[in-house]
Amino acid sequence: MGGQGDIVFVIVIATALAFDFTNGFHDTANVVATSISTRAMSPKLAVGFAALLNFAGAFISLKVAATVASGIVKADAITMTIVFAGLIGAIIWNLITWYFGLPSSSSHALIGGMVGAVIAGPGAKDVIFDGLAGKVIVPALVAPVIAFVTAAIGILIVYRLVGRLRPGPVTNGFKLGQLMSGGLLALAHGTNDAQKTMGVMTLALIAHGDVSSANPHVPDWVVVSAASAIALGTYSGGWRIIKTMGSRIIKMDTAQGFSSQGAGAAVILAASHYGYPLSTTHVIASSVMGAGAAKRVSAVRWGVAGNIAVAWALTIPAAGIFGAVAYGITSLFGSGAAGPLVISIAMLIFTAVALARRLQRGSPITAEA
Amino acid sequence: MIAAKVVDWATLGKVVVAALVAGTVATIGFSCAILGAVRSSEMRRDGRTLEASGFVVVGLLGAAVCAALIVGGIIVMTSK
Repeated sequence: MGGQGDIVFVIVIATALAFDFTNGFHDTANVVATSISTRAMSPKLAVGFAALLNFAGAFISLKVAATVASGIVKADAITMTIVFAGLIGAIIWNLITWYFGLPSSSSHALIGGMVGAVIAGPGAKDVIFDGLAGKVIVPALVAPVIAFVTAAIGILIVYRLVGRLRPGPVTNGFKLGQLMSGGLLALAHGTNDAQKTMGVMTLALIAHGDVSSANPHVPDWVVVSAASAIALGTYSGGWRIIKTMGSRIIKMDTAQGFSSQGAGAAVILAASHYGYPLSTTHVIASSVMGAGAAKRVSAVRWGVAGNIAVAWALTIPAAGIFGAVAYGITSLFGSGAAGPLVISIAMLIFTAVALARRLQRGSPITAEA
Repeated sequence: MIAAKVVDWATLGKVVVAALVAGTVATIGFSCAILGAVRSSEMRRDGRTLEASGFVVVGLLGAAVCAALIVGGIIVMTSK
């Protein structure tokens, strides 16, 4: 494969790394928001710590790479154009939810984008709807409930055991606890999410003929570049979503911060152990709500929680529509490099406009805050 | 019927139980670590060394439970 094929391959790899960057940028909040909110760590230190552990997490395991969207769309339907369009759909949805400061699942955005691109391309017959329901939709309904209940039970136990102690040492103790629970979350996030990008890049390598589909392996440069992109995105810090997760849902104390992170880590790792896919974003946001509601139901700003739930419900269909539109536009230009090039340039303009508009309005919190 | 075909209820049940147990044990463990540290220093200040030693044990047990959970979490990540 050469010429146009090489250009498309380079564009797909660059788009996958761009998605990985938005994934780190968007999901930083899951890991650091509670630590920043309770002042367990300064904002700059928290994102630096999370970026380092996300980078390290990407090297821990490679076993789930190359299984992106498996069981959800038929493997023989996936082409370079579908991967590209799916990534574009996911990036657009990540940017929109970042713009409005809403935590939403980057993994669901990627799956939605791929499903949309497949429907627009070979057709709905190549989407495995049972897989979509069983692997994505049901877990998306279950994750918030498990995380909410686990965090609520956790905070009730904490208040029962240490509620009568002097507040100073208790606060400092839970700040230390947040370093550990936040670190575990960042590692788990790096392990799970960087591998999705590695999987996409491996699919592109197979389609380009560089890696055998019979015996796919993830090259070192793919691991290093995916780890670097997610770490850089994390370090850049999605401050708008950090503010929503850290203080707009509930105003939390250090015990609530620890309970929500601890419950979040427990749910994510339990799900990983049994191979049950849960969204990190859904788990952490719900555990924050659980830790708040167990103390006082009215402590949770349910309007904000409702907006987040709407964003979750819209993620797959919206990313799917964007993925389908990206596929449609790309196809208008034929199978060469022109379509992906046009879309990529349009995406760069769209991103620059969104960033400029947000910078004009000012960031809600910054690394110096 | 459709739900029974699509959803892996057995695995889901295991996830729910494991998450609840791990989350609860983690918060109990860390709370015991803090309780042990704070109470033992208070007891020692009051000259109640026996009670202080008891709270040191509680604190160390809590810390050990948390350390075990962290190691378990890393093993889960590496063995995926």
